[in-house]
Amino acid sequence: MKKYIICLFIIVSASQYGCKKFLDITPIDKLTGNNFYQTKEDMESNITDMYGELFDKYTKTSFAGATGEFRSGEVIPAAEGGAGRSASGLIGGHRRQTPNPQGSTDKQNVPLTTVNDRLLLVALGGGDWSGYNFSDLTRWNEYYRVIQSANLLISKVEDGIPALTAEESKRYIAEAKFIRCFCYFQMVRLYGDVVYYTAAFQKDPLPREDMVSVINKCIADLKDFRNDLPTTFTDPSQRGVRASKGAAIGLLMNMNMWNAGFDIANRNSYYQETAALGKEIMDSKAFRLLPINEWAKVAKGRSEESLFELFRTLNYNQDLNDPFAQANAYSPFGDAFIHFPYKQPEFTHRYSFSVFSSEYMQKLYPVDDASDLRLTIWFVAPFDQNASTFQLRKFALNTFADANNPNLDLNPDNTYLIMRYPDAILLRAEAAANLGDDVTAIECLNEVRGRAGARKYGESGNDIPLKDAIFLERSKELMGEGSRYFDLVRTRRVLSKEWTDNPLTADKFNRRGWTWPIDPAALFNNPKMSLNTYWIGSGL
Amino acid sequence: MLMIKINTMRKQIILLSIFFSCIFLCKDLVAQTKKVTVSGTVTDAGTKETMVGVSVATGKPLKVLTQTDSKGHYSVSVDDGASLVFSYISYGTKTVKLNPGQTSLNVSIKEDNKTMEEVVIRGYQKRTREVTTGSSFIVSGKEVQDVPVSNVEQLLQGKVAGLNIQLNTGAPGLRGTVNIRGLSTISTTGSGNETFLQPTSPLYVIDGVPMDADKASEFGFQQQGPGVSPISLIPQEDIASIEVLKDATATALYGSRGAYGVILIQTVRGNSEIPRIRYTGNFYMNAIPKLRNILGGTNERDIKLSQILNYGRFDDLYKISNTPFLADSLNPYYNNSTDWQGVFYQNTYNQTHNIQLDGGDSKFSYKTNLSYFSDKGIIKNTGFDRYSLNMNMDYKPTTRISFFGSIRGNVGKIKKANGVGLLQTGVATDGQKSSLLPGPSFFQATSSVLSALQTNSDAGPKNLNTYIEGRYELIPGLNITSAASYDYNVDTEDTFTPAAANSQFAKIYSYYGYQSQLYNRNNISYVKSFEEKHNLFFNLFSEMYVKKGQGSTTRLERSPNDQFQGPLGYDGYFSRGGGILTTFYDQNQISFAAAFTYDFQKKYILDITYRIDGTSNNGNKDPYAKNPSVGLKWNFNKENWLKDLKWLSYGDIRLTGGKNIFPVGTLVDIYGKYGPKGFYNNNPRVGIDYEYIPNPLLRPKNVTQFNLGFDVGLFDGKLDVIFDTYYKKVSNELFTSFLSNTLAFQKYTSNDAALSNYGYELSLSSRPLSKNSKFNWTVSVNGAINNDVLTQLPAEYNGQFIEFDFGSGYEQHLAKRVGRNSLANFLYVNQGVYDSTSDVPIDPVTGLRYRNNNSGNVLNSFQGGDARFFDANGDYILDSRDLQVVGNTQPVLTGGMSNTISYTFPSGAAMSFNIYATYTAKRSILNNALADRLRLLRDPFGIARINNIDVLGANPLAVVPVNDLNMWTGPGYTNAKFANVYDYAHEGYVNNYRYPQTLWMETGSYFKINQVTLSYSFAKKMARRIGLTNIRTFFSASNIVTFSAYSGPNPEGVTAIGRDGSGGYPVPRVYNLGFNVEF
Repeated sequence: MKKYIICLFIIVSASQYGCKKFLDITPIDKLTGNNFYQTKEDMESNITDMYGELFDKYTKTSFAGATGEFRSGEVIPAAEGGAGRSASGLIGGHRRQTPNPQGSTDKQNVPLTTVNDRLLLVALGGGDWSGYNFSDLTRWNEYYRVIQSANLLISKVEDGIPALTAEESKRYIAEAKFIRCFCYFQMVRLYGDVVYYTAAFQKDPLPREDMVSVINKCIADLKDFRNDLPTTFTDPSQRGVRASKGAAIGLLMNMNMWNAGFDIANRNSYYQETAALGKEIMDSKAFRLLPINEWAKVAKGRSEESLFELFRTLNYNQDLNDPFAQANAYSPFGDAFIHFPYKQPEFTHRYSFSVFSSEYMQKLYPVDDASDLRLTIWFVAPFDQNASTFQLRKFALNTFADANNPNLDLNPDNTYLIMRYPDAILLRAEAAANLGDDVTAIECLNEVRGRAGARKYGESGNDIPLKDAIFLERSKELMGEGSRYFDLVRTRRVLSKEWTDNPLTADKFNRRGWTWPIDPAALFNNPKMSLNTYWIGSGL
Repeated sequence: MLMIKINTMRKQIILLSIFFSCIFLCKDLVAQTKKVTVSGTVTDAGTKETMVGVSVATGKPLKVLTQTDSKGHYSVSVDDGASLVFSYISYGTKTVKLNPGQTSLNVSIKEDNKTMEEVVIRGYQKRTREVTTGSSFIVSGKEVQDVPVSNVEQLLQGKVAGLNIQLNTGAPGLRGTVNIRGLSTISTTGSGNETFLQPTSPLYVIDGVPMDADKASEFGFQQQGPGVSPISLIPQEDIASIEVLKDATATALYGSRGAYGVILIQTVRGNSEIPRIRYTGNFYMNAIPKLRNILGGTNERDIKLSQILNYGRFDDLYKISNTPFLADSLNPYYNNSTDWQGVFYQNTYNQTHNIQLDGGDSKFSYKTNLSYFSDKGIIKNTGFDRYSLNMNMDYKPTTRISFFGSIRGNVGKIKKANGVGLLQTGVATDGQKSSLLPGPSFFQATSSVLSALQTNSDAGPKNLNTYIEGRYELIPGLNITSAASYDYNVDTEDTFTPAAANSQFAKIYSYYGYQSQLYNRNNISYVKSFEEKHNLFFNLFSEMYVKKGQGSTTRLERSPNDQFQGPLGYDGYFSRGGGILTTFYDQNQISFAAAFTYDFQKKYILDITYRIDGTSNNGNKDPYAKNPSVGLKWNFNKENWLKDLKWLSYGDIRLTGGKNIFPVGTLVDIYGKYGPKGFYNNNPRVGIDYEYIPNPLLRPKNVTQFNLGFDVGLFDGKLDVIFDTYYKKVSNELFTSFLSNTLAFQKYTSNDAALSNYGYELSLSSRPLSKNSKFNWTVSVNGAINNDVLTQLPAEYNGQFIEFDFGSGYEQHLAKRVGRNSLANFLYVNQGVYDSTSDVPIDPVTGLRYRNNNSGNVLNSFQGGDARFFDANGDYILDSRDLQVVGNTQPVLTGGMSNTISYTFPSGAAMSFNIYATYTAKRSILNNALADRLRLLRDPFGIARINNIDVLGANPLAVVPVNDLNMWTGPGYTNAKFANVYDYAHEGYVNNYRYPQTLWMETGSYFKINQVTLSYSFAKKMARRIGLTNIRTFFSASNIVTFSAYSGPNPEGVTAIGRDGSGGYPVPRVYNLGFNVEF
């Protein structure tokens, strides 16, 4: 009797064998999370999506231009560019425009106007000023998308993915951490305090966290994992595009230097950290400075000089209806400073949309150092303030011209450089200078200058102080790559009219006048959220 | 010892198999010595008629020897002095011990009306009701005949306490809403009048095969495809009984899908030794119910002109001459009196035919049901036809082995005009057209009329269902059953819209979808009694489903001509292509269930059930949902101290509690959805979709129910009472919260909502007359009170969530507030009408009169004749801050009553009269049809916006008479309910006739006479004279009259959240003449 029952049990249970498998279904109409993260290809396409998301965000506006250069006030829009292009001046707190030269190629005088850093708010508004789409800078949603994606990927890999080797798992974790830290760093520089989390599927609202603490957490998050990233890539299409150990070091150096500017009590440890990281990257010999006459290669992207970039090329275009479609014609920094023949057609591009003020250009390139090849390779009529002659062709040397279609209006075929080897070298120089190690600092500074054929620091008697020289070298070398305003902020040079045309008072600085306003939509569904107070109301 | 036992059993099995072969081969050789032949007649104790097909059995275990023949006669050869057992379905069994030498025996058996001895089904096992603890109610197949319906569900309305059915659509082939014991969800979809409550229909189990009735509507009512409910494919003549399971102990064995209650349907089985043919024919008329009154022709023009002359501004007088339909009364184009509603509605004549063939004996029986059903809808170009062939057979070679097999094939055809079936909004829009316009013709009518009438659609489900079940009794009391079924359903739709009906371009739409379900069940049950006192019952079973479904569409716009519907080309720019719809599913489910019942002398009963469900919907991390239940019952009439009470037939108290878990959410909710996002660096991007954040902790919906029941039968069937009270808690209800933008995802699906239902159900049935009387009178009444309370919302909403509805234009928001009924309205409170301008309150601060919206415009101020809206925040401005939570969209009290009187003439003929009614009370519904009707007067010029320019006279609308309404006519009219509707110019500023206001909120209580049936059965003698066994003819009328305080046409024809839009499909009145003939 009992045996019968037992037998029956066995039969019944055997008939239902493999339950777990039976209940696992792959829908054909959608890809659900339980069927994703299974293969290496899944990981690759998901990581690619995170970079792609960052690329999309970066190209929604003239990101490097607005955050790095326009904001400090030296960029003057051309009168011919109209109201739309004048927004780049408003970002810098002024309403100056170069007059229409009407054929004259002489140096022009630009009338001085008062400076008001809150003109920024006008540029963020819609209407005439919406061409650059600067208001996108007030929205942080996309960074959090990437952060959620990265958190999710890390938690999945930590749970274990059988298809991956241990080494691959470590690499993906490190790469996701790099991406996550990069997002937080970008946001900290734009908004100051931000919401920080690393848990997958974070759903509870959080308050903003002090930015020094966010950056410290990021440093801790990334630091030990940088060694899991590849030093170099066998596939040259990934060089600079996918996170390498060098990219992680570059980001760590930037984050340390940021905190050194705000966490005054601990600044020396940040400098030491930066100097050590700088030594590490330079000793690794994984990167090199290309000769200045090969600059076009650097601007094209994926060069040995690139630590990290958001890669763009006209060759990779997915819009079949318009093979020349661009992410956003306003987003490349170079676009605003070039005209024919670097931009076509000729009849609409006889002038640059903006110029740099001649005072600023002269500060960067003193008359007594005419040997600097950057001045000739990167510029045309650099000191003229004349929209018909001035050109910054740093990002123009890969111009795409179609003989059959002379009216094709395209930006030059360049990548979006985010971090470059000279950035790391100069940060090391800056850290060393702050630590009193002038020898290393000068050595680093001169490495960058040497590549451009510029006069070496210390060779002549009229050198400006070392730290200022390093600062100006960064402004010069990294022009248009989105770092100048942040350097002004973290070194507090933004407080002085000597270094910027759009200075902040100490009070404004302390009330975070250097941040960007945050879109009030951040307040929705989050009772713990607060906006940047400087940008609420009249600012007084 | 054990070995020996097994050995003997093995022998037994071998012997038994030999024995079975013997039975097949030499049936006649079984007869032994000392036999007598007994013969006699079996009659019905009530009607005194002879009975066909009564089983005659003897021996232990019982062995059926024969059945009575067509004259009720039997003849059997049995041992001398044996006991004969006579039995017949739904009649009691009668055992008679023969006296030695007795050879003739006439018996009469009586119909068994005792509720307690009914056979109920629990977890696919038949049990007697006496030893089960759950709450259920049985409706016999007889009660759902006599009125031809496409969906038998609607005849259950008001028959079962706690089963709330609202026939909110008259569309042929579609179903209304069905809820057992109140609300099970608070999630709604759609907006405006098309806001629907997520359907939570009970699980249907048809002859042991579970089936999902919501299948056609799981994606809302506006889904693609024919949208016919699978329930509509079962012919009512084929139904033997319907059992409605209500509490957790009854439903727990059906697992997660039983969370919303279970309805078991048994179809007719073969039951006559002589093959029988029964024919049922119905000839019926669908009549148009009351439609709205419209003023025609010159009446319409006069009203519009007088509106303009009395209330228009100076400019309006000038506009008259620019509005041709007002000014040019001599123009034949504007000089008509067209009845637009008449264009769409029609009375229809329909018929249904059903032939049922059955036969067989206790060893082998079969049944075939062949049915044709046709229902042409009262809206032109709609209708539903069904052809079905259902067969089943029972084979019981011995008492230990049995097989049951069935096959059902159904073809449905539905015509939906251009609507989606449930809604006919095109008809509603056109029904509002001005009567001054000429009637529709191919050249003059608007394309919407043509598309309603000339869209050529060919749609419908084709369904094939097979089922086989085998049972084997291994040892006495231990049964093994295995059953498998396969159900395949194809839905197709081909719609062709001619060019004239679609802006001069013909259009083709086609849909193809299929759903299949493979189902398997393996069951072991064991019954054992100890000392005749302790009875044990075990039931273990496993269930497995493999369900697949897929739908795809193709839409070709601008095909070349009207003559051919063929693939002659189309416009690629406008065409939407096609492909697999998101309704795709591929779902596996596996379940194990166990039930244990112990009773002591059938007096004290303990029921325990436990079920585990695993479904592929929940992914493989934690796919199992567990459903336990416990039930207790005390049959107190079996106590010694009550045993002798003659008037107490039975009495018991039941107490049950249990939990059903309903898996909610999909793989997407739990794991997130990933999709391609283009390329970066020339590599493909695949990323997560940021709309919903995956919630790996998503829990299934929990339905916990406690039930206390009481059954008592008094005076030998004269009065049966069933009373239940319950508390049903629905927790872990899905609720979508919106997320902060620092979290990237927009929405979060949480389990943080909950609601409770509590209520009382009472069913009374009485047969007051003596069983020997020629009259038979049955009265039954039932009613259920259900209150629902919202008990939880996600914490961030602070106890109130308003589902805003701005997109539809109705702005009738739904309020979900913790502590009150779950689905309430959020409206402005209308308190009547200002008698005169001096009654309007004045803001003492600004000196401005109470006004509409936050505007400085003096014209926005209220004046005499305007609606008196409640200024809830006292700021003298009427704006969204004055909205209030009001009303209950769900009915509180529902029930029904039935009254049958039958009389048997001495000749044997019988006559029967049945009247049956349902009622619903305590519900608020929004009379949007009335609002629409009064709002027609807002625009006497018929302005339409064409290319962003307001064109006068482009869309002239009908005028409805309003003189039956209590409307303000001038100062001094103090008790008016409705504001001055004619003052259209002022209306534009103050919006008296806005949709979101309590003026439209009316009581949805009604008392409806569902059905009256008069039937006459001819005497057998009469029937035989013309070669028939039985003739019955009946006349019935359904949906006859509804008594209600509601001012609209039908308080039942509203959506599940109580909106009476003009776009619904009215429920027709049906007059039917039918015949049952038996050969």
